[in-house]
Amino acid sequence: MKILKNCLLAGLTALTLLGAAQVAGAQETDQVGRSTYLESLKGKKVIFVPISQGMDLNQAWVVVWQRHAARYGFTLEVRDPSGDTNAGIRAMQGAIAEKPDLIIVQNPDVQTYARLLKQAQAAGIKVLQVNMQSATQTDSYVGNDWIEMGRLEMGELAKHCTGPNAVSHKVVWLAGVQTGAANIYMRTGIDEVLKANPELQLVSDQPADYMSEKARQITETVLQQHPDLCGIMGIWDNAEVGAGAAVVAAGKQDQVTIVTNGAGSATGCESIKNGLLDVIFNFNAPIQAEIAAQQISELLQQPGRKAGSEKTIFFGPITRVDKTNATGRNCWKLDELK
Amino acid sequence: MELAGSGGSDGGRMGIKVSQEIVVVAISVILVLVFSATLNNFLSQGNIIAILKNVSILGTLAVGMGFIVVGRGIDLTMVAVMVVGVAFSIWISTWGIDFTLAIICGALLAAAIGLFTGIMVAIAEIPPIFATLAIASSVYGSGRIVFASDVLYAPSNIGWLKFVGSGTILGIPMSVVIFGAVAALMGFFLRKTRFGRLVYATGDNPNAARTTGLPTRPIIVTQYVISALIAFTAGIIMLGLVTGIDTRLYNSSLIYDVLLVVVLGGIGLSGGQGGVRNVIAGTILVGILTNGMTILNFSYTSQNLIKSVILLGALAIDAIINPRDEQTSQSGDI
Repeated sequence: MKILKNCLLAGLTALTLLGAAQVAGAQETDQVGRSTYLESLKGKKVIFVPISQGMDLNQAWVVVWQRHAARYGFTLEVRDPSGDTNAGIRAMQGAIAEKPDLIIVQNPDVQTYARLLKQAQAAGIKVLQVNMQSATQTDSYVGNDWIEMGRLEMGELAKHCTGPNAVSHKVVWLAGVQTGAANIYMRTGIDEVLKANPELQLVSDQPADYMSEKARQITETVLQQHPDLCGIMGIWDNAEVGAGAAVVAAGKQDQVTIVTNGAGSATGCESIKNGLLDVIFNFNAPIQAEIAAQQISELLQQPGRKAGSEKTIFFGPITRVDKTNATGRNCWKLDELK
Repeated sequence: MELAGSGGSDGGRMGIKVSQEIVVVAISVILVLVFSATLNNFLSQGNIIAILKNVSILGTLAVGMGFIVVGRGIDLTMVAVMVVGVAFSIWISTWGIDFTLAIICGALLAAAIGLFTGIMVAIAEIPPIFATLAIASSVYGSGRIVFASDVLYAPSNIGWLKFVGSGTILGIPMSVVIFGAVAALMGFFLRKTRFGRLVYATGDNPNAARTTGLPTRPIIVTQYVISALIAFTAGIIMLGLVTGIDTRLYNSSLIYDVLLVVVLGGIGLSGGQGGVRNVIAGTILVGILTNGMTILNFSYTSQNLIKSVILLGALAIDAIINPRDEQTSQSGDI
């Protein structure tokens, strides 16, 4: 009897286990929500209107997004106006007319696309803004906290250019394009630091237009007037190499601290190693791109949500890079991202 | 000597000594006086060298443009040739080709573009403003497709390039020396060689020059080749100064600044007049203005406004002093 009872128990246990295994097996073959997710991305159309695809940050973004597009079966078309605002407006108008599922846009300034973005939202197209915001807020913004960036950079200069050992309290702000979002918001952060450190003296505030030669000319002129200059802060590592060149030409690389920000490409690290730049606040474009890719997939997964009905913002991480850590992941090369 | 080759149309003006060039020089002198009275260190040796260094690229390009305009042409390809030629050199050097050799290849490419432009203008007889506008766009466009990035960096261990950027001869920076050498060569070429005189003749009256039997077509083609090479030289100066070249310069207003310097200095767009001296006068005025306003920390917008007002003023003063007569206005401006 006892043997029979044991056999029955064992048999029941085995059956239960088998059944459980079958249930588990079924769960493995269909991960919860996976097929809905994949289905919702497949065949969707995304159009990206950049400022210029020739910039390192843009290249990193698109390489990452193309990887996602290839994997999940949505299309990503890049309409590159190559730095020409008029061409950018035409690209935006064309994109709206095509009614894609999502437009990604990097604004050349806060005003130019402001109305177009409203039109896109009214037409039911979701809009993701990357790194450069417009005056119009849309479904999502992924990019830098530019006020924080201004604070970080001027804060770095405040460390070097205040206190008894500072060569002087004179600092320079080499702006980009004065109507650009980065410029406007960084200025807010800069002013906060200047207010907190009244001894800091902003001796020049000129836009270098993201051009290295312009940055060089301004720096050279300012150095003539203020030979005891203590620090320079800029807005893009590829432009501030010009400021670095002027400082090196004057033999003042030990005296003048040059701080800027950048996408974290290997060229920026080279500039640090060559002594043209001291500190880059690296906003790591590949990581930005991954955050944006998450937003792309979220916006595509919610076809029922009305464009512009929910507005979100995501700031990417910022890493301080100097001579000691200008290596590895802080200095990406495009080929490594593919 | 002043307006050699300009024929009879300017005969009546020869008596008036106040040319546009003199107006520009006078404005420059006034600006120097104002700035040196109000700004510390404006007249310091360092600042004067900084002014010259900051206009060396603009000035070099303007010498090339002036040369074309004297021959009644216009070359809007210069900035495109400058950035694409130099970027091409850097691009091929990344394949492992010696950098100096790569630069020579870039110069050859620039010359080839100049040759093509020259043929389009001289033989296909497309008006230069349209031919060069279209070619500039295609040159830049091709460059954008070939080179992935806007900004290309030169290798950091090239000795001669470092010398171009930071070397000096007798205390004068190499960039200024190169600008001076290009200007001096061009001045000599225009004034002292037969070819130079032929350029004036072609610019003054192309049809008459051709009827007289001058080889106007080869002259025009050669002009565009030379201006392309001068543009490439300006690119080398930039590469030396900032270690990289930014092809987005094509989208900036640089080409108009170059043209402005030429016209402001007093080289009429109708051709056959002026020379290198005018270019230098125009370049230095722009240099002094920019330098002073940067020191004064004027905002970008007000800098542009002041610059335009002063430049417009210079042109207006010239128009009042040297009014157009029927003959000069017939020759047209482009």
